[in-house]
Amino acid sequence: MNKRYRLSSVAGVACLLWLALSVMASAQVSQEDFQKLQAQVALLSQQVQTLQQTNNAYQQKIQSLQQQVGSTKEIAKSAEEKASTAEEKMNEPVDLSAQMASAASHNFVLAGDAEVTFGRTAGFNSGSFMMADFAPIFLYRANDNILFEAGFDFILQNGQTTLLNGQNADYANNTTVNLSFATIDYIVNNYVTLVAGEMLLPLGTYSERSAGWINPIPDSPLPVAVLPQTGVGAELKGAIPLNQYGRAITYSGYIANGPSSVDGTGKSTYTDSTGAVLPNLDLGGNVGLSSSGNQQNLNGSASGGARIAFFNAFKPHYDIEVGLSGQTGPYTTSNQYYSAAVIDASMHLSPYFMLQGEYINTWVQTTDIGTYQAGGFWLQGTYKLAAFNSDLTFINNLELVSRFDTVNDGLGTKTDRFTAGYIYHFSNTLMFENDYEWLNNSGPNPLPNSAYVFQLSYGF
Amino acid sequence: MAVSTMIPSPVYAGSDGTDSKAPIQPVAAESVTGAELYAINCNRCHEERFPKEFTATEWTTLMLHMRVRANLTAAESKKILKYLQGQAGN
Repeated sequence: MNKRYRLSSVAGVACLLWLALSVMASAQVSQEDFQKLQAQVALLSQQVQTLQQTNNAYQQKIQSLQQQVGSTKEIAKSAEEKASTAEEKMNEPVDLSAQMASAASHNFVLAGDAEVTFGRTAGFNSGSFMMADFAPIFLYRANDNILFEAGFDFILQNGQTTLLNGQNADYANNTTVNLSFATIDYIVNNYVTLVAGEMLLPLGTYSERSAGWINPIPDSPLPVAVLPQTGVGAELKGAIPLNQYGRAITYSGYIANGPSSVDGTGKSTYTDSTGAVLPNLDLGGNVGLSSSGNQQNLNGSASGGARIAFFNAFKPHYDIEVGLSGQTGPYTTSNQYYSAAVIDASMHLSPYFMLQGEYINTWVQTTDIGTYQAGGFWLQGTYKLAAFNSDLTFINNLELVSRFDTVNDGLGTKTDRFTAGYIYHFSNTLMFENDYEWLNNSGPNPLPNSAYVFQLSYGF
Repeated sequence: MAVSTMIPSPVYAGSDGTDSKAPIQPVAAESVTGAELYAINCNRCHEERFPKEFTATEWTTLMLHMRVRANLTAAESKKILKYLQGQAGN
């Protein structure tokens, strides 16, 4: 057994010795192999370097992306905060009326008036009802400085038919719509306003302040018929305060197409198809677009006009206003002139008593009779019985009215009229008017002799 | 409705006639309220309208219309508008 152990040990040592010699033999590398290995190592080194550079680039990109992610997170956070704030605000109580008031910079309003009349004219056996007027006013405010306003008159009257014998007869009815005024108003500054369009002319105050429910008597003063009420053109107007409230100088200056001559001749009269001889001066037309569709002025050039007035309030309901106005310009293409001058005045001597009137004169040049003058005056007073502070409501709601007006058309017709009556106020905008009129006519073109008139007026 | 009650509130001291015999004094600028200016200017031509008849926005349009139509001064029309809007309807 020992012998076998000894043999095995000798064999193992021999094997180890062989192995050691083998390794030593294999560790011996040629120069060529070494250079190859060197080249491979250099190549590997380059590749490692390249990989390091690529890695650096990736690192930078990652850093950049991380920054972007951070920024995005901040934005998201900010948005989240804003959303949160908005939500809080939405939950807060809101003054909607204030928001609406500031948002609605423009506004449309319908105003105006309507009148229903019952009257009887002397010479006719019976009276009749009449839808005297329906006059809406449309107001559209573009902003605090720009306003468009337009007033219409809806008129209902009997239609007409021609009989076999050639005579005309009333038949059915017609509704016509007239444009009373339509202007664009621009507040230039505190003292100047530009008005352009179909204007109510400031000849006196009646035209501008004459809406049906405002007028205490159902019909207009006679002499205003010798003045143009409207004109197409442009106007500058305004008010200059005089050191204190309730005292001011007001002014208006305008140019408008002006009146025209019906037949264009400049003669004082013309004859219509029925043979009636009528004044040739046309105060209501010449709106710039002729009946043939052409844009043209029917006279030589535009007319110019102005009004200046002084207003002074001593205290509320105690005031006086005095105005002077006029207009001049040709009404034919051959330079015949129409000119007008008006003095107007009004005063309040308590909340109950008002007095107002106008003196009007016009000069009309003609080719046949030279210059004729047409004009007149009107004076009107109103008194509210509420001044007596009666226990009877019926008495307190009454207002007495009276007016004297006279007109001479300059062509031979003269009319004097005295009116007396009352107003019963149902409210501040609904009133019933009843008047009796005494007329004294003379001349070729007399006015109808109105005997009495009732009117229900409503302003809205 | 009596005429005397149709004058809008707040009522000017003399609008009910109680002091119609009081001495006439000039209207001092600093003491005039929008209501008084309303009574001074609007009643010149027509019966006064109640502030509640129109909304605040409608009064803005109506006062612009009246400023142009009646040649009111800028300062007065602004003060009247403020009074009307303060008591305007809904």
